[in-house]
Amino acid sequence: MLMCRDLARIGSDYIDGQLSTADNFSVKMHLLMCRHCRSFIGNLRESAQLMKGHADYHLYEEYLRRLESSIDEALKG
Amino acid sequence: MALPTERITDDSNLVSALQAGDQQAFHQAVREFSPGMLAVARYYLDPSSAEDVVQETWVNVVEAVKKFEGRSGLKTWLHRIVANRCKNRLRTANREVSSEFGEALEPGIASRFESGGRWATPPRLRLEEHAELLMENGALNDCLDKHLSALPEQQRSAVMLYEAHQHKAEDVCNILDISASNLRVLVHRARQKIYLMVEDFQETGEC
Ligand SMILES: [Zn+2]
Repeated sequence: MLMCRDLARIGSDYIDGQLSTADNFSVKMHLLMCRHCRSFIGNLRESAQLMKGHADYHLYEEYLRRLESSIDEALKG
Repeated sequence: MALPTERITDDSNLVSALQAGDQQAFHQAVREFSPGMLAVARYYLDPSSAEDVVQETWVNVVEAVKKFEGRSGLKTWLHRIVANRCKNRLRTANREVSSEFGEALEPGIASRFESGGRWATPPRLRLEEHAELLMENGALNDCLDKHLSALPEQQRSAVMLYEAHQHKAEDVCNILDISASNLRVLVHRARQKIYLMVEDFQETGEC
């Protein structure tokens, strides 16, 4: 039987639809009975959502200028 | 012909402008695509070499884009070029990216189960009930930035390409040279970390 810890291991695979039909079914069954795991899966899903707009590297102005001027050079060449 | 001053929103128009050597279009593309390109480069190289590679890539792209046929999408194409240049550098320097991935659970989650595998310390909060509040919380957003910057480079790159840039898993694997299962682990670990961070933030009000 699928335990909470097993489910936690494959939580992202479940969210992203990467599980086999059989595993997906076991997870669904477990979630029906276990509110803690329902919270956990919901939290993982929200965490993924939160990261969407955030994970970017910021370009600092000086570096941006450097990129632009090397492109300008290359365009002239 | 007047230079377009407005942002080009359509990918194929942007490609045509780049192929025509339009300076404005290049400057727009640099702003738009460099963060993702840096994410790729940082996966392989130290921060300053990563910046150099992105710069070299742009110089190279000025010519190379003329032969771009649009099969893969501009972003994916750029990311692939960056990845290849990084791999070449590593090859020349005779270095390899370490690939220690391993366990799917974050220690902070793994320790919350009893030996039988049930929750001993279950999730204390349900994020979806607070989702909108969370998105608008400036302090939490800062905290999120801080934690994301603190992720190990490989995790951060993988998460950024997969979650923020919405690359398909197979593209990320290709660009970062990792197996599908390693990517799954990197993404899963990062999500757990962010969840633990939010839970902690909600309880203590501190980052
Ligand atoms: Zn459970």
